[in-house]
Amino acid sequence: MNIDKKTQKYDRQLRLWQASGQAALENSKVCLINGTATGCEILKDLVLPGIGSFTVVDKKEVDGADAGISFFLDEDRIGTNRAQAVTELLQELNEDVRGFYLAEDPISLIENRLDYFLQFTIVIATDIPEKPLLKLSEALWNANIPLFIVRTIGFIGYFRIVQPEHTVVETHPDSIMDLRLDVPFPALEQYAKTFDFDSMDNMDHGHIPYVVILLKYLDQWKKDHDGKLPCTSAEKKQFKQIIESGRRNVDEENFAEALANAWRAFTATKVPHQVQEIFNDPACETLTANSSSFWILARAIRDFVANEGQGLLPLAGSVPDMKADTSTYVSLQTIYRQKAKAEIAIVRSHVNKILNSIGRTSDFIHDDEIDSFCKHAAFIQVIRYRSLKEEYISDPKKADIDRWLQDPQDNIVHYVLIRAIDKFYEANNRYPDAATFFIEGDPEEATEESKSEFELLKTYVNILLSEWQITNIPDHLDDYIHEICRAGGSELPNMASLLGGLVSQEVIKLITRQYIPLNNTSIFDGIKSASSTYIL
Amino acid sequence: MMAATLMQTDVPTPEDSDSSKKVWPGRWSHINKILDRRGPFCDKSFSPGHGEDILLNQCRVLVIGAGGLGCEILKNLALSGFKDIEVIDMDTIDVSNLNRQFLFRPADVGSPKAKVAAEFIMKRVAGVKVSYYHGKIQDKDDDYYLGFHLIICGLDSVEARRWINATLVNIAQDDPERIRVLIDGGTEGFKGQARVIIPTVTSCYECSLDMLNKQTAFPICTIANTPRLPEHCIEWASVIQWPKEREGEKMDTDDPTHIQWLYDVALKRAMEFNITGVTYSLTQGVVKNIIPAIASTNAIIAAACCNEAFKIVTTSQPYLNNYMMYIGNEGVYTYTFEHQKKDDCPVCGNQSAFLDVDKEITVEDFIELLKEKPTIQLKKPSLTTDTNEKIYWQSPPFFEQRTRPNLEKRLSELVKDSGTIIVTDSTLPISLNVTVSYV
Ligand SMILES: [Zn+2]
Repeated sequence: MNIDKKTQKYDRQLRLWQASGQAALENSKVCLINGTATGCEILKDLVLPGIGSFTVVDKKEVDGADAGISFFLDEDRIGTNRAQAVTELLQELNEDVRGFYLAEDPISLIENRLDYFLQFTIVIATDIPEKPLLKLSEALWNANIPLFIVRTIGFIGYFRIVQPEHTVVETHPDSIMDLRLDVPFPALEQYAKTFDFDSMDNMDHGHIPYVVILLKYLDQWKKDHDGKLPCTSAEKKQFKQIIESGRRNVDEENFAEALANAWRAFTATKVPHQVQEIFNDPACETLTANSSSFWILARAIRDFVANEGQGLLPLAGSVPDMKADTSTYVSLQTIYRQKAKAEIAIVRSHVNKILNSIGRTSDFIHDDEIDSFCKHAAFIQVIRYRSLKEEYISDPKKADIDRWLQDPQDNIVHYVLIRAIDKFYEANNRYPDAATFFIEGDPEEATEESKSEFELLKTYVNILLSEWQITNIPDHLDDYIHEICRAGGSELPNMASLLGGLVSQEVIKLITRQYIPLNNTSIFDGIKSASSTYIL
Repeated sequence: MMAATLMQTDVPTPEDSDSSKKVWPGRWSHINKILDRRGPFCDKSFSPGHGEDILLNQCRVLVIGAGGLGCEILKNLALSGFKDIEVIDMDTIDVSNLNRQFLFRPADVGSPKAKVAAEFIMKRVAGVKVSYYHGKIQDKDDDYYLGFHLIICGLDSVEARRWINATLVNIAQDDPERIRVLIDGGTEGFKGQARVIIPTVTSCYECSLDMLNKQTAFPICTIANTPRLPEHCIEWASVIQWPKEREGEKMDTDDPTHIQWLYDVALKRAMEFNITGVTYSLTQGVVKNIIPAIASTNAIIAAACCNEAFKIVTTSQPYLNNYMMYIGNEGVYTYTFEHQKKDDCPVCGNQSAFLDVDKEITVEDFIELLKEKPTIQLKKPSLTTDTNEKIYWQSPPFFEQRTRPNLEKRLSELVKDSGTIIVTDSTLPISLNVTVSYV
């Protein structure tokens, strides 16, 4: 076997999202609106791991300021189209990625050719004012295409994910433990019974897997306690003492493992709350020909739980490493795996039944998809996002914002300022931009002009707060008004790069459908070096 | 400590090169908004209008590591206006670097990272001087490190980090003028951390050694007798079968034919024991101890480090005190806190560490204990009593031979109860006092 060049190049990331995630990346088409420094940094972190293609939409002519802060521009490109210039230099990063550009004004494109954006897997918007953003977000929402809204101003970074729904099977939990100690299935129960602890020599006794130790003592306990598991803390303690008394010497690591994992035996195996909620979801209840494979599988699992599973999810089928000799461990593994396989086959039949009922053929869902779903059944996730219209117009999170804003340490203040400067921009066609904060000894002093810039921005902050019916205006707001006037709409290379990393990471999660993405807003404060997440 | 005083050091200022003519109109206009204006959170010493001209032109920065973090750090520093940068890295470019180390192209594979990175930055960012050293950080002496205002580390090796941390703390000991700020970044998959270390003032890298994930080490008896995992079979191939079947031959984990051999041997053993899951990729991962790495996390951590460098040098904002932890696999999460200095830190503390040990413990087992203990983790500890009697020295060979008989002795024969042992390590410039109590 020889490893091909591509596998070698992507080795360090394949260990995180495997070939399936990589294939999804390679099939994706990413659109960046405006080739800002932040936008280029996002694309850099997506071109490197190998998305299929990117397209930059930007009409701006590169100026000296752009060339100063972007690694994907230089002096020679001043005066040329920014989309073209950054595409050329981003393209160099990875020969397997195709780069395109469109030297058109994104805002007029949104006004006149909104359909243009529907060809992409994901759209990333930087530097777009509120109104066209709302229009774009609605069109993408209806087409189920995720939109990222990204801003960096001075030391503050902000991004928001907008899409109706995101479902994840491969959430990558730290470990998948599904041992069924409290409800052992017959094959497992039988296997545990084949161990006669007392007649074993010390070597074998020291290699009984802890799963068997726990099952054996639990079985005895249940016999002595009307079939009940240890429940009170006194009983749990007593149960552990019984295990301890079976230990022949302190060197028996398997007994140490049994004691450390005893809590698993007391924990009832059940359908986790968040999975139950997914089962109760209307999308799981009413399937249509348009239902995604996630919902069809969720329904099949629900049907399994209600019938053959007798209230339990399909067995995950994996066994953690434990002290044991090889053949015992392999037998134990085989018992769990065979049970899991049998249950997967039952789930397959539910899937086929459902597919048939909604007029689809059984090849719509592949076997490996079912395997993976059954394995991760306890960890599946559905995230429903709020639309931008809800956030901006129909249902702003007034009460939450009010509450967060009263805490002087909370990053929500940056959100208030970002929204306020959008209003400022809409009215004045520029961002607030002036030195407004002075102390004695500074070379310059406050002028009428600088005072009025501060007051003007404060007006927009107050308009926003009154729209949200926030009457208790905290004192610390003034400091942040000064700070954002100082930033003057600037992009700092470090903040651009930091946001590039955060946004690209979330883009990768959405495209690969692996790991759990942000819901829905992240703010990074580069003054404090701290981030916060909000549902707005 | 005020940020301003951190920068008032006697490092020679870089000679003014031809950088002045590389300033086109508007080039620094974004950054200058911050540097020309005071903000409410600025340090009192901040002087509007001087940032770009004075501070950035007069600051020499050393970047340690030109890998995933290093490439990002160099780019960010150059774009932020730092003009005099040096980079050290001992590695050459491998094809598996290309998914994130964006200053390298396929044609650069095999070339020194430090050289290619430095040249690329100078080509792309006008007016910046990036010098490089292709070699080990241990090659350089105290004067070399004193020649920089700021040192930013983007390393994947714990050992190298411990070395530079201990070196900078030693340099700063007794003389605040010799404090050189160390900014350290590290990543692993979707996780990482950025921290600001002010040697002798804040907690140091060694203070937080117990926060590291302990590497899984498989017991040799499991590998030899009761393999259960594919990893056990791979370890068997590399630890037991290689020395047996390819005696005298040095294993090179970068040689694909060697990995292929290990994979074949491991696979055969796995099949024998009905163990599934041995793959080429896993074989490579286990024997090379590969840590997953992606562009995104490197960008986040490198930018956080450079943002701190920018704030410290320009005093335009308060800097991080002193630790930001980043976790990105479930949403976006950071935890920013002040990591506390440890009084008994082997590097920056001045108190003895207290250890309760079995009164029967042999010197040899005591040394094992020092290697294992999460707060100490020494590779090759040498022990001396506080009255300067050698207990066991790893080197030079003459002393090793002379002290070797002590290994079998009980520690209590050589050190009385509540006695203090001075522990040193030839791989690290540190000395730790351990006071033992026998129980
Ligand atoms: Zn320390």
